[in-house]
Amino acid sequence: MKGDLLVSAIGFGIVTASVLAVGAVGFTLQFSVTNILNLAFGSVMTIAGFTAYALNARGVNIWLCLLVAGLAGGVLSVALNAMLFAPLVRRGTKLFGMVIITISVALILDHLVQAIVGPSFFSYRVSAGRTMHLGAMVFTTTELITIGIAVVAMLALHVALKFTRFGKAMRAVATDPLLARACGIRTHRVVNLAWFLSGVLAGMAGVILFIDTATFSATTGTEFLVIIIAAAVLGGVGHAYGAMLGALVVGIVSEIAAALINPSLKEIAAFVLLVLVLLVRPRGILAEVAANKEVVA
Amino acid sequence: MSAATQLYVITLLVYFFVDLMVCWGLDLQFGVAGVLNFAYIVFQAAGAYTTAVLTLGPSSGNGGFQHYVGGARLPFPLPLLAAMVVGVLLALFVGFIGLRRLRSDYQAMVMLVVSVIATAIADTQLNLVNGPAGLALVPKPLASSISLSPLGYGWLFVVFSGVVCVLVGWLIHRIVESPLGRTLRAIREDERAAAALGRNVNGSRLLVFVIGGAVAALSGGILVEFVGAWAPSGWLYPETFVLFTAIIVGGRANVFGVALGALLIPVGLQQAVEYIPIVNSPTVLASLEWIITGLVTITFLWVRPQGLLPERRRTVRSIDRAVRRRAVVIAAGTSESLGGGP
Repeated sequence: MKGDLLVSAIGFGIVTASVLAVGAVGFTLQFSVTNILNLAFGSVMTIAGFTAYALNARGVNIWLCLLVAGLAGGVLSVALNAMLFAPLVRRGTKLFGMVIITISVALILDHLVQAIVGPSFFSYRVSAGRTMHLGAMVFTTTELITIGIAVVAMLALHVALKFTRFGKAMRAVATDPLLARACGIRTHRVVNLAWFLSGVLAGMAGVILFIDTATFSATTGTEFLVIIIAAAVLGGVGHAYGAMLGALVVGIVSEIAAALINPSLKEIAAFVLLVLVLLVRPRGILAEVAANKEVVA
Repeated sequence: MSAATQLYVITLLVYFFVDLMVCWGLDLQFGVAGVLNFAYIVFQAAGAYTTAVLTLGPSSGNGGFQHYVGGARLPFPLPLLAAMVVGVLLALFVGFIGLRRLRSDYQAMVMLVVSVIATAIADTQLNLVNGPAGLALVPKPLASSISLSPLGYGWLFVVFSGVVCVLVGWLIHRIVESPLGRTLRAIREDERAAAALGRNVNGSRLLVFVIGGAVAALSGGILVEFVGAWAPSGWLYPETFVLFTAIIVGGRANVFGVALGALLIPVGLQQAVEYIPIVNSPTVLASLEWIITGLVTITFLWVRPQGLLPERRRTVRSIDRAVRRRAVVIAAGTSESLGGGP
């Protein structure tokens, strides 16, 4: 019986991990290039999720809404960087100042959404589909599509990072921005691309999160942000593949903790994991980025 | 003044004094020592819960609808002193774990997560401090022994919190001007240089953490004794952000600057928003408050990051003058004791 519980918890964990993976990789991508700890990521997720809701309520298929939401997230992130983060970095704001700025942005955006949509809960018009059993694990069609989207996104990102010129440029700026600039890479463009991709992934993550949690409110995105950061940091700050690994670990561990110990511990487990990782190995499991870099705009 | 106006002013003043204490404590940690404590509100909450639990009596009282650990009916200053002790212990615990040499934004992240964990625990562990409903019906200190009208008691409480606030402010001012303050500023500016000069970096930082924690806990105790209730929704992690905004706006490491910030942001902004006529829904009003606070922070970090009253620049000249003055005094003293001319 306990074994079955464990296996089904792993099944739930994989679904959670898929949601986490998209978010964590988006977060890490931007962080590796710009070195700004963007706590407004959750707000971008929320806004994209509600954009999808606005379309979905008018009858648009949810998976189409997902793409639109991704685009919205990308545009919003680039706008935030161009109007706010980049100018402040150019004025000399350092790491902690930027964190305060991103928290301010997160608060402003979250409360704007809350003021507009109100405190109620919403849900998408999407059918769960048939349930399938894989041993003791239970999946609905929607959940399988979610896992599929996450896998496709990860593969696409892997191909982009490894084989395209922009991908290599991004990795170069992530490793050493000054040297990259000296080699003729237009860091400004790479940074904007990183923000755009991160925003797209944030948007998609927001929609998948809202689908996964069935009912959502204006605060769901930011509440999930801490778990996303837990996954991103666990895997290795600045290392996209590490973020995927971290998402898997956090997703499965928190679901197992919820199933075997206490359901209320699901979030606390993820947070405690994050604190432990930040203290014991702040560079994460697969680290690539030096901890002493400054912010890039 | 009408009774309602008096009550309003009393509430405003008590909140101001409590917020001022809290801002000074956080400024000591962040402004002077450079310790990024994004979990500061947790210490205030710990003090509030301790005071509440030690004044409410056993949890079976009042009909037993509240579940919490402990429970005693201690007379007046004891719950507040106990709150300070709890603040110190919690600060030692969090400090040992969290005050590692992390880069500044990771440090902020760790503390933020600690804050989130704390609210999550208070919310979900229903028998700890009564979960999301929180504690209520906390009796006012000495209310039974002092026979005053409610308004009279209110003004007495204002005087009490004001006196405690001034004492805390004086203490913090003394610390900032003392050699310990110099050490903290040195650690803030260049940790390795301070360590190379023989300063105990970790010890000093832990000390500030503990002092700040005790001040926060005391303020929490005073606040809960005035308000009579305390719930997790009142100390979520953005509350610390409001305090940081107050310090950024007022001016970090400047006792008067922080006082100005405490007047403008937690008290002033919150009250100013209430008077905006367009909005009548309370939830939209609360959201508006946060939006404005966020905009103020961004504006100040963009335009005037040092704050309205910036930190006093301590130059070598001022130290030189002090040294020369003391040299004259010593010379005069020596010539006297030698009983003769120079």
